[in-house]
Amino acid sequence: MNDKVFIVMPAYNEGKVIANVIAGVKKAGYNNVIVVDDGSDDDTSVKAEQAGAVVVRHLLNRGKGAAAKTGVEATKILGADVVVTFDADGQHEPSDIKKLVHYINEGYEVVLGTRDFSRKEIPFFKKLANLIANVFIWLIYSVWVEDSQSGFRAYSKKALRVIDLTSDRYNYESEVIKEIAKHNLNYKQMPINVYYTEYSQKKNQRQNFISGLETLLKIIANPVD
Amino acid sequence: MKITLIQIGLALISLFIIGDRIQRYLRREISQSIFKLISFLTVWTVVLIISLFPTTVYYISRKLGFGETLNPLIFAGFIIVFLLIFKIISIIEELERHITKIVRQEALKNIKKRR
Repeated sequence: MNDKVFIVMPAYNEGKVIANVIAGVKKAGYNNVIVVDDGSDDDTSVKAEQAGAVVVRHLLNRGKGAAAKTGVEATKILGADVVVTFDADGQHEPSDIKKLVHYINEGYEVVLGTRDFSRKEIPFFKKLANLIANVFIWLIYSVWVEDSQSGFRAYSKKALRVIDLTSDRYNYESEVIKEIAKHNLNYKQMPINVYYTEYSQKKNQRQNFISGLETLLKIIANPVD
Repeated sequence: MKITLIQIGLALISLFIIGDRIQRYLRREISQSIFKLISFLTVWTVVLIISLFPTTVYYISRKLGFGETLNPLIFAGFIIVFLLIFKIISIIEELERHITKIVRQEALKNIKKRR
Protein backbone atom coordinates (compact mmCIF):
# COMPACT_ATOMS: atom_id res chain seq x y z
CA MET A 1 0.00 0.00 0.00
CA ASN A 2 2.84 2.36 0.88
CA ASP A 3 4.84 1.38 -2.22
CA LYS A 4 3.37 4.24 -4.21
CA VAL A 5 3.75 6.78 -1.40
CA PHE A 6 6.87 8.89 -1.75
CA ILE A 7 8.31 11.16 0.92
CA VAL A 8 10.15 14.20 -0.45
CA MET A 9 12.65 15.94 1.81
CA PRO A 10 14.27 19.15 0.60
CA ALA A 11 17.51 19.40 2.60
CA TYR A 12 20.19 22.04 2.90
CA ASN A 13 23.08 21.39 5.30
CA GLU A 14 21.11 18.89 7.39
CA GLY A 15 23.97 16.37 7.71
CA LYS A 16 23.68 16.33 11.51
CA VAL A 17 20.07 15.18 11.63
CA ILE A 18 19.07 13.79 8.24
CA ALA A 19 19.96 10.15 9.00
CA ASN A 20 17.70 10.14 12.08
CA VAL A 21 14.85 11.81 10.22
CA ILE A 22 15.03 9.25 7.39
CA ALA A 23 15.22 6.40 9.91
CA GLY A 24 12.09 7.76 11.61
CA VAL A 25 10.18 7.94 8.33
CA LYS A 26 11.23 4.41 7.36
CA LYS A 27 10.23 3.15 10.80
CA ALA A 28 6.80 4.65 10.22
CA GLY A 29 6.50 2.34 7.19
CA TYR A 30 7.54 4.56 4.30
CA ASN A 31 10.56 3.29 2.40
CA ASN A 32 10.39 5.57 -0.63
CA VAL A 33 12.29 8.55 0.68
CA ILE A 34 13.69 11.07 -1.77
CA VAL A 35 16.13 13.57 -0.33
CA VAL A 36 16.84 16.59 -2.48
CA ASP A 37 20.21 17.87 -1.36
CA ASP A 38 19.97 21.54 -2.28
CA GLY A 39 23.69 22.18 -2.85
CA SER A 40 24.69 21.53 0.77
CA ASP A 41 28.24 22.25 1.91
CA ASP A 42 28.19 19.39 4.40
CA ASP A 43 27.73 15.61 4.12
CA THR A 44 23.92 15.66 3.78
CA SER A 45 24.02 13.57 0.56
CA VAL A 46 26.34 10.92 2.01
CA LYS A 47 24.37 10.63 5.26
CA ALA A 48 21.05 10.42 3.39
CA GLU A 49 22.35 7.74 1.04
CA GLN A 50 23.73 5.70 3.94
CA ALA A 51 20.34 5.94 5.63
CA GLY A 52 18.77 4.38 2.54
CA ALA A 53 17.18 7.36 0.80
CA VAL A 54 17.26 8.09 -2.91
CA VAL A 55 19.36 11.24 -3.18
CA VAL A 56 18.90 13.84 -5.85
CA ARG A 57 21.53 16.55 -5.74
CA HIS A 58 21.32 20.19 -6.82
CA LEU A 59 24.73 21.40 -7.93
CA LEU A 60 23.86 24.87 -6.65
CA ASN A 61 21.65 26.00 -3.80
CA ARG A 62 18.32 26.98 -5.41
CA GLY A 63 16.05 27.27 -2.37
CA LYS A 64 13.49 25.10 -0.61
CA GLY A 65 10.78 25.59 -3.24
CA ALA A 66 13.08 24.60 -6.10
CA ALA A 67 14.27 21.56 -4.14
CA ALA A 68 10.70 20.46 -3.34
CA LYS A 69 9.77 20.75 -7.01
CA THR A 70 12.79 18.70 -8.07
CA GLY A 71 11.75 16.06 -5.54
CA VAL A 72 8.21 16.02 -6.89
CA GLU A 73 9.53 15.68 -10.46
CA ALA A 74 11.62 12.72 -9.32
CA THR A 75 8.56 11.04 -7.75
CA LYS A 76 6.67 11.47 -11.02
CA ILE A 77 9.45 9.63 -12.86
CA LEU A 78 9.38 6.89 -10.22
CA GLY A 79 5.60 6.48 -10.54
CA ALA A 80 4.25 7.90 -7.28
CA ASP A 81 0.54 7.98 -6.46
CA VAL A 82 0.88 10.05 -3.29
CA VAL A 83 3.66 12.47 -2.41
CA VAL A 84 4.31 13.82 1.07
CA THR A 85 6.72 16.74 1.56
CA PHE A 86 8.49 16.51 4.89
CA ASP A 87 10.99 18.95 6.42
CA ALA A 88 14.44 17.45 6.82
CA ASP A 89 15.29 19.19 10.10
CA GLY A 90 13.36 16.77 12.28
CA GLN A 91 10.55 19.12 13.30
CA HIS A 92 7.79 16.81 12.03
CA GLU A 93 6.46 13.59 13.52
CA PRO A 94 6.82 10.65 11.06
CA SER A 95 3.74 8.92 12.45
CA ASP A 96 1.64 11.86 11.17
CA ILE A 97 2.42 10.83 7.56
CA LYS A 98 -0.08 7.99 7.87
CA LYS A 99 -2.89 10.42 8.74
CA LEU A 100 -2.10 12.71 5.81
CA VAL A 101 -1.97 9.78 3.37
CA HIS A 102 -5.25 8.49 4.81
CA TYR A 103 -7.09 11.64 3.73
CA ILE A 104 -5.56 11.48 0.24
CA ASN A 105 -6.86 7.92 -0.02
CA GLU A 106 -10.27 9.22 1.09
CA GLY A 107 -10.35 11.50 -1.97
CA TYR A 108 -8.76 14.78 -0.94
CA GLU A 109 -6.31 16.22 -3.48
CA VAL A 110 -4.12 18.09 -0.99
CA VAL A 111 -3.74 17.64 2.76
CA LEU A 112 -2.09 20.54 4.57
CA GLY A 113 -0.29 19.68 7.77
CA THR A 114 -1.29 22.42 10.20
CA ARG A 115 0.75 23.41 13.24
CA ASP A 116 -1.11 24.32 16.41
CA PHE A 117 -0.24 27.99 16.84
CA SER A 118 -1.90 28.25 20.22
CA ARG A 119 0.98 26.34 21.77
CA LYS A 120 3.10 28.33 24.18
CA GLU A 121 6.50 27.23 22.91
CA ILE A 122 5.91 28.73 19.47
CA PRO A 123 7.69 32.11 19.38
CA PHE A 124 5.42 35.16 19.21
CA PHE A 125 7.09 36.45 16.03
CA LYS A 126 6.31 33.16 14.27
CA LYS A 127 2.65 33.30 15.32
CA LEU A 128 2.32 36.88 14.11
CA ALA A 129 4.10 36.23 10.79
CA ASN A 130 1.87 33.23 10.12
CA LEU A 131 -1.28 35.20 10.94
CA ILE A 132 -0.29 38.06 8.61
CA ALA A 133 0.52 35.60 5.80
CA ASN A 134 -2.81 33.78 6.36
CA VAL A 135 -4.79 37.04 6.22
CA PHE A 136 -3.11 38.11 2.98
CA ILE A 137 -3.62 34.67 1.43
CA TRP A 138 -7.29 34.83 2.38
CA LEU A 139 -7.69 38.35 0.96
CA ILE A 140 -6.00 37.48 -2.32
CA TYR A 141 -6.84 33.83 -2.99
CA SER A 142 -10.09 33.61 -0.96
CA VAL A 143 -8.80 30.50 0.77
CA TRP A 144 -8.54 30.48 4.56
CA VAL A 145 -5.82 28.20 5.88
CA GLU A 146 -4.61 28.06 9.45
CA ASP A 147 -1.00 27.41 8.54
CA SER A 148 0.04 28.75 5.16
CA GLN A 149 3.75 28.18 5.77
CA SER A 150 3.90 24.52 6.79
CA GLY A 151 6.21 22.28 4.76
CA PHE A 152 4.43 19.04 5.77
CA ARG A 153 1.85 18.35 3.07
CA ALA A 154 0.47 15.46 1.03
CA TYR A 155 -0.57 15.54 -2.62
CA SER A 156 -2.63 13.22 -4.79
CA LYS A 157 -1.64 12.27 -8.30
CA LYS A 158 -4.07 14.82 -9.74
CA ALA A 159 -2.68 17.58 -7.51
CA LEU A 160 0.85 16.70 -8.61
CA ARG A 161 -0.21 16.97 -12.21
CA VAL A 162 -1.92 20.36 -12.01
CA ILE A 163 0.11 22.25 -9.39
CA ASP A 164 2.75 24.31 -11.12
CA LEU A 165 5.25 25.96 -8.82
CA THR A 166 7.59 28.69 -9.93
CA SER A 167 8.88 30.02 -6.58
CA ASP A 168 12.39 28.91 -5.78
CA ARG A 169 12.59 30.19 -2.24
CA TYR A 170 10.42 29.91 0.87
CA ASN A 171 7.32 31.45 -0.68
CA TYR A 172 6.59 28.19 -2.47
CA GLU A 173 4.43 27.15 0.49
CA SER A 174 2.09 30.09 -0.20
CA GLU A 175 2.21 29.32 -3.90
CA VAL A 176 0.72 25.90 -3.21
CA ILE A 177 -2.31 27.64 -1.66
CA LYS A 178 -2.57 29.81 -4.77
CA GLU A 179 -2.58 26.69 -6.93
CA ILE A 180 -5.25 25.07 -4.74
CA ALA A 181 -7.45 28.11 -5.35
CA LYS A 182 -6.63 28.29 -9.04
CA HIS A 183 -7.46 24.64 -9.77
CA ASN A 184 -10.22 24.45 -7.17
CA LEU A 185 -8.58 21.45 -5.52
CA ASN A 186 -10.31 19.58 -2.74
CA TYR A 187 -8.10 20.15 0.33
CA LYS A 188 -8.06 19.23 3.99
CA GLN A 189 -6.21 20.77 6.89
CA MET A 190 -4.87 18.33 9.41
CA PRO A 191 -3.32 19.14 12.79
CA ILE A 192 0.26 17.91 13.06
CA ASN A 193 2.80 17.68 15.84
CA VAL A 194 5.86 19.89 15.65
CA TYR A 195 9.09 19.61 17.62
CA TYR A 196 10.73 22.95 18.16
CA THR A 197 14.22 21.71 18.90
CA GLU A 198 17.13 24.10 19.36
CA TYR A 199 18.46 22.79 16.03
CA SER A 200 15.29 23.44 14.03
CA GLN A 201 14.91 26.87 15.65
CA LYS A 202 18.38 27.89 14.53
CA LYS A 203 17.65 26.65 11.04
CA ASN A 204 14.36 28.48 10.87
CA GLN A 205 16.05 31.81 11.33
CA ARG A 206 16.69 31.66 7.61
CA GLN A 207 13.02 32.46 7.22
CA ASN A 208 13.70 35.87 8.70
CA PHE A 209 11.86 39.16 8.62
CA ILE A 210 13.17 40.15 5.18
CA SER A 211 12.29 36.83 3.54
CA GLY A 212 8.88 37.09 5.23
CA LEU A 213 8.35 40.47 3.61
CA GLU A 214 9.51 39.04 0.30
CA THR A 215 6.93 36.26 0.59
CA LEU A 216 4.25 38.85 1.31
CA LEU A 217 5.21 40.92 -1.74
CA LYS A 218 5.16 37.84 -3.95
CA ILE A 219 1.66 36.95 -2.70
CA ILE A 220 0.45 40.46 -3.52
CA ALA A 221 2.25 40.63 -6.87
CA ASN A 222 1.05 37.23 -8.11
CA PRO A 223 -2.67 36.85 -7.46
CA VAL A 224 -4.57 33.99 -9.09
CA ASP A 225 -4.32 34.40 -12.83
CA MET B 1 32.86 82.40 -12.82
CA LYS B 2 33.38 81.12 -9.28
CA ILE B 3 34.29 77.43 -9.04
CA THR B 4 33.58 75.58 -5.78
CA LEU B 5 35.51 72.65 -4.29
CA ILE B 6 32.69 70.21 -5.11
CA GLN B 7 32.86 71.25 -8.76
CA ILE B 8 36.62 70.71 -8.87
CA GLY B 9 36.24 67.33 -7.13
CA LEU B 10 33.51 66.15 -9.52
CA ALA B 11 35.48 67.33 -12.56
CA LEU B 12 38.61 65.51 -11.38
CA ILE B 13 36.67 62.29 -10.70
CA SER B 14 35.01 62.36 -14.12
CA LEU B 15 38.34 63.13 -15.84
CA PHE B 16 39.97 60.23 -14.01
CA ILE B 17 37.19 57.81 -14.95
CA ILE B 18 37.14 58.94 -18.60
CA GLY B 19 40.94 58.50 -18.82
CA ASP B 20 40.81 55.14 -17.07
CA ARG B 21 38.09 53.79 -19.37
CA ILE B 22 39.84 54.90 -22.54
CA GLN B 23 43.07 53.34 -21.29
CA ARG B 24 41.30 50.06 -20.49
CA TYR B 25 39.69 49.98 -23.89
CA LEU B 26 43.03 50.67 -25.63
CA ARG B 27 44.64 47.89 -23.57
CA ARG B 28 41.94 45.61 -25.01
CA GLU B 29 40.90 44.41 -21.58
CA ILE B 30 38.27 41.67 -21.60
CA SER B 31 34.68 42.93 -21.28
CA GLN B 32 35.57 46.44 -22.51
CA SER B 33 33.37 46.74 -25.57
CA ILE B 34 33.00 49.86 -27.70
CA PHE B 35 29.37 50.16 -26.56
CA LYS B 36 30.44 50.17 -22.92
CA LEU B 37 33.13 52.77 -23.68
CA ILE B 38 30.69 55.08 -25.46
CA SER B 39 28.07 54.85 -22.69
CA PHE B 40 30.68 55.51 -19.98
CA LEU B 41 32.14 58.43 -21.94
CA THR B 42 28.67 59.94 -22.50
CA VAL B 43 27.65 59.76 -18.84
CA TRP B 44 30.93 61.03 -17.42
CA THR B 45 31.34 63.77 -20.04
CA VAL B 46 27.89 65.04 -19.05
CA VAL B 47 28.99 64.98 -15.38
CA LEU B 48 32.18 66.86 -16.34
CA ILE B 49 30.30 69.53 -18.30
CA ILE B 50 27.65 70.01 -15.61
CA SER B 51 30.22 70.20 -12.83
CA LEU B 52 32.21 72.89 -14.65
CA PHE B 53 29.23 74.73 -16.17
CA PRO B 54 26.21 74.11 -13.89
CA THR B 55 24.12 76.66 -15.77
CA THR B 56 23.95 74.32 -18.80
CA VAL B 57 21.31 72.34 -16.89
CA TYR B 58 19.04 75.42 -16.83
CA TYR B 59 19.74 75.95 -20.53
CA ILE B 60 18.67 72.35 -21.32
CA SER B 61 15.63 72.70 -19.06
CA ARG B 62 14.53 75.85 -20.88
CA LYS B 63 15.11 74.25 -24.28
CA LEU B 64 13.01 71.22 -23.27
CA GLY B 65 10.19 73.55 -22.26
CA PHE B 66 10.37 73.01 -18.48
CA GLY B 67 11.25 76.64 -17.88
CA GLU B 68 13.56 77.62 -15.02
CA THR B 69 12.50 74.83 -12.68
CA LEU B 70 14.48 71.61 -12.67
CA ASN B 71 11.94 69.43 -10.82
CA PRO B 72 10.33 67.77 -13.88
CA LEU B 73 13.80 66.93 -15.21
CA ILE B 74 14.81 65.31 -11.90
CA PHE B 75 11.44 63.52 -11.74
CA ALA B 76 11.93 62.14 -15.26
CA GLY B 77 15.41 61.00 -14.22
CA PHE B 78 13.94 59.11 -11.26
CA ILE B 79 11.38 57.39 -13.47
CA ILE B 80 14.06 56.30 -15.91
CA VAL B 81 16.20 54.92 -13.06
CA PHE B 82 13.23 53.02 -11.58
CA LEU B 83 12.31 51.57 -14.97
CA LEU B 84 15.90 50.44 -15.40
CA ILE B 85 15.89 48.80 -11.95
CA PHE B 86 12.65 46.93 -12.72
CA LYS B 87 14.08 45.80 -16.03
CA ILE B 88 17.23 44.54 -14.33
CA ILE B 89 15.20 42.73 -11.65
CA SER B 90 13.11 40.95 -14.28
CA ILE B 91 16.28 39.94 -16.17
CA ILE B 92 17.77 38.54 -12.95
CA GLU B 93 14.56 36.62 -12.16
CA GLU B 94 14.56 35.13 -15.64
CA LEU B 95 18.18 34.09 -15.22
CA GLU B 96 17.38 32.53 -11.83
CA ARG B 97 14.57 30.51 -13.43
CA HIS B 98 16.93 29.27 -16.13
CA ILE B 99 19.59 28.32 -13.58
CA THR B 100 17.04 26.36 -11.53
CA LYS B 101 15.86 24.56 -14.67
CA ILE B 102 19.40 23.52 -15.58
CA VAL B 103 20.21 22.47 -12.00
CA ARG B 104 16.98 20.42 -11.87
CA GLN B 105 17.64 18.66 -15.18
CA GLU B 106 21.14 17.79 -14.05
CA ALA B 107 19.85 16.51 -10.69
CA LEU B 108 17.17 14.30 -12.29
CA LYS B 109 19.59 12.61 -14.72
CA ASN B 110 20.41 9.88 -12.19
CA ILE B 111 16.76 9.20 -11.45
CA LYS B 112 16.03 8.80 -15.16
CA LYS B 113 18.93 6.35 -15.43
CA ARG B 114 17.50 4.31 -12.54
CA ARG B 115 14.26 3.80 -14.42
